[in-house]
Amino acid sequence: MFESKSGVLLIAGLFFFALAFVSNAVVPMVMYRHLPEKTALQVVNGNVRYQFEDLARRYPEPFKQAFGSPPAGEAEEQAWWNEKCAEALKVGRKVYVGEGCWHCHSQFIRPVSNEDRRWGPVSRTEEYQNELQRPVMFGTRRVGPDLCREGGRRSNDWHAVHFFEPKRLSVGSPMPEYPWLFEGSPEKPNLKGLALMTYVQWLGSWLECYPDHEQYEESPTKALTLTEAK
Amino acid sequence: MPDPIKPVDIEATPRSQNRRSLWATSGFALVILIPSLYGFGGKFIEFVQLYRGDVDGVFAISPILNYLLASMGFFCLFCWAVTQGMFQDIERPKRAMLDLQNQLDYNASSQSGVAK
Amino acid sequence: MSTEAVPQQLPEHKDLVIEQLVIWYFLAALAYLIISMLGGFLMALQLVDHNPLRGIEVLSPGRWRMIHTNAIAYGFLANAFLGALHWVVPRLTLRQVASRALSYFTFAAWQVVVLSTAVGIMLGEAQGLEWGETPTWIDPLAQLGLLLVAINFLTPIVQTRGPMYVTLWYFTAAFIWTFLTYAMGNFVPEYFVSGTSAGAVGGLFIHDLVGLFVTPLGWGLMYFFVPILLQKPIWSHGLSLVGFWGLAFFYPLTGIHHFLYTPIPMFLQHGAVISTIAVEMVVLTVIINFFGTLVGTGQAFMKNLPIRWFYTGMVYYFLTCLQCAMQTTMTFQALIHFSDWVVGHAHLVMFGVFSMWLQGIMTYLFPRLFKHEWYSKTLCEWHYWLSAIGLLVMATDLTLAGVFQGYWWASLQPWEVSTEGSFPFWMVRIYAGLAMFIGQIIFVYNICMTWQLSRRAAVPATIAA
Repeated sequence: MFESKSGVLLIAGLFFFALAFVSNAVVPMVMYRHLPEKTALQVVNGNVRYQFEDLARRYPEPFKQAFGSPPAGEAEEQAWWNEKCAEALKVGRKVYVGEGCWHCHSQFIRPVSNEDRRWGPVSRTEEYQNELQRPVMFGTRRVGPDLCREGGRRSNDWHAVHFFEPKRLSVGSPMPEYPWLFEGSPEKPNLKGLALMTYVQWLGSWLECYPDHEQYEESPTKALTLTEAK
Repeated sequence: MPDPIKPVDIEATPRSQNRRSLWATSGFALVILIPSLYGFGGKFIEFVQLYRGDVDGVFAISPILNYLLASMGFFCLFCWAVTQGMFQDIERPKRAMLDLQNQLDYNASSQSGVAK
Repeated sequence: MSTEAVPQQLPEHKDLVIEQLVIWYFLAALAYLIISMLGGFLMALQLVDHNPLRGIEVLSPGRWRMIHTNAIAYGFLANAFLGALHWVVPRLTLRQVASRALSYFTFAAWQVVVLSTAVGIMLGEAQGLEWGETPTWIDPLAQLGLLLVAINFLTPIVQTRGPMYVTLWYFTAAFIWTFLTYAMGNFVPEYFVSGTSAGAVGGLFIHDLVGLFVTPLGWGLMYFFVPILLQKPIWSHGLSLVGFWGLAFFYPLTGIHHFLYTPIPMFLQHGAVISTIAVEMVVLTVIINFFGTLVGTGQAFMKNLPIRWFYTGMVYYFLTCLQCAMQTTMTFQALIHFSDWVVGHAHLVMFGVFSMWLQGIMTYLFPRLFKHEWYSKTLCEWHYWLSAIGLLVMATDLTLAGVFQGYWWASLQPWEVSTEGSFPFWMVRIYAGLAMFIGQIIFVYNICMTWQLSRRAAVPATIAA
């Protein structure tokens, strides 16, 4: 095989395949040295910390069961909150993936179809360069709305009730119930429930314009008459 | 089974016809190649500019490199197939295949008594 | 294909093909098809708010939606393809597979992989990659399985000499591509790359899985069965090779068209659009070739049921590709991305094309495997018509729904408008799905009865060709 000219072509062909495959993984790694992937701990920010501590205040007992209590000492306590928040983000993402949330909710805003007006700024590359986007959660179908600007829009107890039984809050929503994220009632979320809420509150929390709100105006003409009346 | 069509004998083809098919082939090649090269060239210049100017440009390199490598792979395999004579008498395998399958079925049915 | 004249002592069919295994593969495939359709049904019921199994963790529609897609890709398609390959490859190469023991082992191992995937997804362990939700701890096992399959079938193929028939080209490529594609899709985004470029790899993966695993195997089988059933060779073998090499050159870059308007650089997205349209040209050559073959024997379409399955699949294939060439343009994408159009397209490809072909193959092969005619030809017809019409209704319905949804979203109406407005479409989809489901149940019943008859018959009955 090696001595003939055609054998060289065969070997070269297969070699190029292998090279294409290897470069698929290696080239991005080499290329992104200047843009290292952030760990879960690094993406914890003030906004999501606030929501996480809010969970601890709203659901003290379930929270204690899931994450324990903070240690004494200012520095230790701060480190503990960050650490637990990162842990919650990781677990929350696992639940998000495992329940197939991403099959009905996308996580990117396109520059077309008025999406930036509905949800907020168009997605940028840097937003996806972290551990919680491995594999990336772009999604392919939107039965429910996009979630990548969801953080902070709604309160934690809204999310708790909504996960427990979506119909109580969104009439006619086709979203399924997730009672196994709770111990019987929306007041008692378990570890998975708390983590998923932290994850959802994290989405978009890194943006300056956080939180984004959908601009629901009844009708443009009505708004116009209101401003004229003033 | 209808009688298979005889493959065209290259040796016997008159010279003028050879030249005519050469012209036709080159004509078609130009029709395909000129727009493709124009499009590809334009895109390539765009790509170089993107790579120089934009941070996002680096993202473009990895899939393009992969695609080029994979295409090189296919090209080498294609050349290998040519040297192996895979494309000589290109229409024969289709008839050989059918004859063979019919023979297999005939043998099987004549043995087990199952009529085909 | 041997270059020299057909050897005098042709191997016997019964020495070449392990018929038992072909039957097992087909039955396993049909079992997963039923499971998958049940999963799709559950999700469809959830969407119209009539899910009878609310609040049960392991039956959550979100999880069953993943089982639905995975059971089709890895349970139904892979099993049915492997069954057909065990029939076609030995007959085409006149050589047995590398090892019969390996064949049986692969069968068992593959069922373990698919079942543990299903169980893993049911327990909420899925991996976040479309069509690759197989939990990460199963991936290496699946990879090994693919390697064994490749070795088992490539051994007889590489031993053949002289110009290869187009089917073998497709198969050889499919074995190598599937192995590489699976590795790329399941390991690269999970362990090596993150962020946007992982999205690019994910896009490549979902598309290459269709284009480099399902498509070449499907067309390879068509190039084998259609000439045999029509009793005449394919119209142009040269053109079929153009189709093969065209697929090889243009396919790899198309995947990113799944993520148009993402932060992936526009440059790559445009490249994907162009190469997708190039692939449509390639597809056209293949379609022309098959319809060129049919010319003069068009009656077979009416009279010969497997041929009808095959050519219906090809018509749907042409429609799919037409749809694809449109939806891959940026203008169309802006409107229909994320909508039910995509879902309709996926059903048109997976059920309308590849499942149709495989069911045609099963309709042709089961009487030969059981050595007995079909229990009922009428039931076979019902199977065909329910599947073909159900699918047509479903695809049209979802495509339309997609256009509506796109406009509702773009016009900035409250989100509820889009879900409430989709309700009638989702309702129609349920009934279309139900028709397809009943078709499959009828087929399975027909197979059971045929099997019983074949066991009862002491002397093998005559099979009409």
